[in-house]
Amino acid sequence: MSDPSTHDLPFPSFAPYPDRDSEPYWAALAEGSFQLQRCDECSALRWPPRALCNRCHSFESHWEDVARTGRIVSWTRTHQVFAPDCRDKVPYLVVQVALEEQNDILLIGGWLAERTPGVNERVRMKLVEAADGLRLPCWQPEDGV
Amino acid sequence: MSIRDQVAIAGIGCTEFSKNSGVSTLTLGTRAIVAACQDAGLSPSELDGVATFRVGDSVLPAILSQALGIKNLRFFIDQFGGGSVSHSIIGQAALAIHAGVASHVVCYRALNARSEFRMGGIGRPLVDAVETQYQAPFGYFTPPQQFAMAARAHMEKYGTTEAQLGQVAVTQRANAVLNERAMMREPITLDDYFAARWVVEPFRLFDCCLETDAAVAILVTSAERARDLRKTPVLISGAAWGSGQTLYSNEQPDTTRSSAAETSRRLFEMAGVEASDIDVAQLYDCFTYSVLVQLEDYGFCKKGEGGAFVESGATALRGSIPVNTHGGFLSEGYVHGLNHVYESVSQLRHDAGKRQVDGAQTALSTAQPGYVSGNTSALVLRRDA
Repeated sequence: MSDPSTHDLPFPSFAPYPDRDSEPYWAALAEGSFQLQRCDECSALRWPPRALCNRCHSFESHWEDVARTGRIVSWTRTHQVFAPDCRDKVPYLVVQVALEEQNDILLIGGWLAERTPGVNERVRMKLVEAADGLRLPCWQPEDGV
Repeated sequence: MSIRDQVAIAGIGCTEFSKNSGVSTLTLGTRAIVAACQDAGLSPSELDGVATFRVGDSVLPAILSQALGIKNLRFFIDQFGGGSVSHSIIGQAALAIHAGVASHVVCYRALNARSEFRMGGIGRPLVDAVETQYQAPFGYFTPPQQFAMAARAHMEKYGTTEAQLGQVAVTQRANAVLNERAMMREPITLDDYFAARWVVEPFRLFDCCLETDAAVAILVTSAERARDLRKTPVLISGAAWGSGQTLYSNEQPDTTRSSAAETSRRLFEMAGVEASDIDVAQLYDCFTYSVLVQLEDYGFCKKGEGGAFVESGATALRGSIPVNTHGGFLSEGYVHGLNHVYESVSQLRHDAGKRQVDGAQTALSTAQPGYVSGNTSALVLRRDA
């Protein structure tokens, strides 16, 4: 399942299998853009991608670039080999980040620094190339260290 | 109109808890269900409803119903879902019985979770769970990772410690020592807890439940009918399920609060009780952390104080609110929620042997508190007067 081109990722990576709602999200990432849906009616960002706004029930939205900044909500370090392809990657760190632009949107992402992140720490997104032309939204400290 | 105390649990059954049952989930299911019928003093042919929940890992309930020789099935539930819906099938069975749709509904869960189907396998995700695609690309795809993420946030926000997580495991193991069904019966200490390997930080080995091959069946009928059967009826005083937001959808950004914070209020209102009225609680313990967050969200202690509450000894067998008296999923075995109901009934019948909570009259039994799916379910049970 792992591809040789993904071996420099600091975590094991499995294909996302986009669905019909999420195809634009993954397509934008592949082009180097981080885009989310914004509701045309109430202006809330929608996450995960979907047709209906769960706040105002509008079906209208557009995709737009969103600020690539956030704060660490939590993190884990995985030691257990949960699948054979994870063996060469453990232990690895995964973070949960609240987007600065709308902080009730929580994203799971890879962590690109050597050190352990701090909860509430401000972080910046970096898109990292993975297999099959994918780009994955990962996170690093605001100052890059 | 409330269904409080109108419907009862009249029979319970379970198989051996093992790492390899050597039999199919169909066989496991029939064993537990026949045992529940015998416990109640009822023939399996008198069943007219079957209810289960699955995640593509167990026999179809229609096949099981045929195997039991049920000729005129009047009610069934084949619920998609994991531990979070475990108690909802019993609540729904109670509604059906109260409405006169069915008379004797058996609620069961049969799984070879250790030897056949292990959670967290990877491959093309189920179309039912669209959010997997935003997590699996980062190597994040298993329940221990999802709960560890919430546990870390709780530790940061409230100062919950690793030792407090460990105390949940140590306390429950002491109960399992007294339980002949339990898979893990050697006592452990906090030193043992800290010496065990990491699984997903902040979880070590003893923070995680056991993967188990087993089945449990719970036979539900009207309170009136149950009084004519073999055992002391255990009344369903309250049943609640639902909530809503998943951890990864917007509008629910505080991961240190579970769905139980919302459902517990209407559960207790339906049953006419408060947390202080509960004599014994079986709280869904897929991981140690889920016990802490439920102690808070069901109101046994203040928000953020779950760790200190366990450390005080309050949840031990002779504490003020004994929790997971059978050892829980951490030490007895993991039947995806239903062995909590089995133990609750044993306690309320005063059949729990050396781990009996003296004079227990009211029990709380809970499902996975809503991480991941956003939904939870729970029951308040009462010994018939």
